Amino acid sequence: MATTAENRPMSAEEKKVIFASSLGTVFEWYDFYLYGSLAAIIAKQFFSGLDEGSAFIFALLAFAAGFIVRPFGALVFGRLGDMIGRKYTFLVTILLMGASTFIVGILPNYASIGVAAPVILICLRLLQGLALGGEYGGAATYVAEHAPAGKRGAYTAWIQTTATLGLFLSLMVILGTRTAIGEEAFADWGWRVPFIVSIIMLIISVYIRLSMNESPAFVKMKAEGKTSKAPLSESFGQWKNLKIVILALIGLTAGQAVVWYSGQFYALFFLTQALKVDGATANIMVAISLIIGTPFFIVFGALSDKIGRKPIILAGCLLAALTYFPVFKALTKAANPDLAAAQAASQVVVIADPAECSFQFNPTGTKKFTSSCDIAKQRLAGASVSYSNEVAPAGTPAIIKVGDTTVQVKYSAEDVAAAKAKAEEKLAALNAAEPKDAKAIEAATKSVKDLSNEKTAGATLLASNLGAALKAANYPAKADMAKFDKVTVIIILTYLVILVTMVYGPIAAMLVEMFPTRIRYTSMSLPYHIGNGWFGGLLPTTAFAIVAQTGNMYNGLWYPIIIAGATVVIGGLFIKETKDVDIYADD
Amino acid sequence: MWKIAVGFAIFAALALYVIGKGGDSLDMSGEKHGADAVHVEPAKADASAPAPAPAADASAAK
Repeated sequence: MATTAENRPMSAEEKKVIFASSLGTVFEWYDFYLYGSLAAIIAKQFFSGLDEGSAFIFALLAFAAGFIVRPFGALVFGRLGDMIGRKYTFLVTILLMGASTFIVGILPNYASIGVAAPVILICLRLLQGLALGGEYGGAATYVAEHAPAGKRGAYTAWIQTTATLGLFLSLMVILGTRTAIGEEAFADWGWRVPFIVSIIMLIISVYIRLSMNESPAFVKMKAEGKTSKAPLSESFGQWKNLKIVILALIGLTAGQAVVWYSGQFYALFFLTQALKVDGATANIMVAISLIIGTPFFIVFGALSDKIGRKPIILAGCLLAALTYFPVFKALTKAANPDLAAAQAASQVVVIADPAECSFQFNPTGTKKFTSSCDIAKQRLAGASVSYSNEVAPAGTPAIIKVGDTTVQVKYSAEDVAAAKAKAEEKLAALNAAEPKDAKAIEAATKSVKDLSNEKTAGATLLASNLGAALKAANYPAKADMAKFDKVTVIIILTYLVILVTMVYGPIAAMLVEMFPTRIRYTSMSLPYHIGNGWFGGLLPTTAFAIVAQTGNMYNGLWYPIIIAGATVVIGGLFIKETKDVDIYADD
Repeated sequence: MWKIAVGFAIFAALALYVIGKGGDSLDMSGEKHGADAVHVEPAKADASAPAPAPAADASAAK
């Protein structure tokens, strides 16, 4: 067991330890992105035949797989890891994960076996959630316990780079398969290939991990008969440990999670949904920034061995809290300057009965917000329109004022009939005109069709009227690529990714160093998964609810700013630096 | 270390090529949860359409 700082290159055994642990984590990320990238196809294959009630239940179960089962997996496998060893536990987690992923690839769809298909799929997702909960803590603990003191930050940082590798690997396999067999075949059966291919990664990972030795710290502890008999009680039943678990959560992982989520996922969401940048450009911009940023995981991991974990992590959170507003505003100016100008110039007001307005927080995605006020705010938030709120008398349907133009949100049958008659007149005129304008005729036909459908007529009318009013107020329907400043966008996105590397690079080492060997796996896994899963995972829905509520597309940033700020204060006041801690002192 | 750097550079170049070729059909937004995971035809937002009210996402729970 190497316990002293040594100025020597990494040994072959240490390289193998890092490689074996990181490979498993790459594998997890691969699976993680597969599900995200293929969600639409998987939903079509497995959930298309469900009625609304069943779809609701499956949505809740899918939510549970990410938000409840993962922390539970952290407890289950953390306990095992502290009792029977790190090596065998994270061997089990990767087997569970790999087998579940592979089975998804060969699972018959809804058309073949009916409701059993989505039931089995969700069970597999729950098993994966369980395995995920145990994997990261195991990999981090295993690497840290093999690392010499003074190099734990640098060694564990390698695990943190695997997110980018897993993302790119999944995209390469997906696109390679799609290109090889064609879009139609891919949607039909080809989507299974990336899941089946994962068996290769599983076999390699298991083979390598089987050849590894148990963590020397755990072997020593076991030989001395000092392993914990009840890691859960020790971790969470004793205040001296529970206090550190809580501090690790709110003073470290919560802030780390929101900075990470904002820098990678929210930035992409903001580019495509708020700034109306096309998906292809947004993907390539984020990918370039991730590639530039990834080496900084190692840089900050290694730097944390010199200057400490705490200053780097908390500086990342502080910079995020202080700079998110100006940075995201700069992103708007660089990516969609027309939108920035329209927001500055136009006055949009939602006039609504406050009793009709909900805080549109929808973590499971199953709630429906259908009041006129909620619909008005959804529409405006969707169009990235900044607006103010005015109170309307009780019972009055909401209206939207764009400058001097008033747009109704709800429409009566008479309104729809009048609009339909007008659309039919326009269609007739277009059909009679020579030469014929095929595009205009197609659009007019669609408009008549939509207005003829009772379910969609009101929404169509609102979209048309609001669209026209916003166009008149110079709101762009999408970003003008001629004005898109690629270099500035990449610089901004890279800055956001570098903040991610500041908070995430050193965190594994810090969490490991906060707890004694006998309860390390259990104690570090839970705050990690609650912090990242809950605080990070709730970011998109919370941010959207805040944006819709307040009428400012930047106000969603208050969520990561407040959480990151709280982490700076709590972490700064109550968390001790750990880089020089002897992690075996209490063994 | 230089071998890792070269390997990463090659991997990154390949990835950028793939992402560039994939266009907007690639979804890099991470794992889907809740209704996002079971919804058959996710609506695409445009200027006049309502914003997608995103469900929570445990993307970061790795």
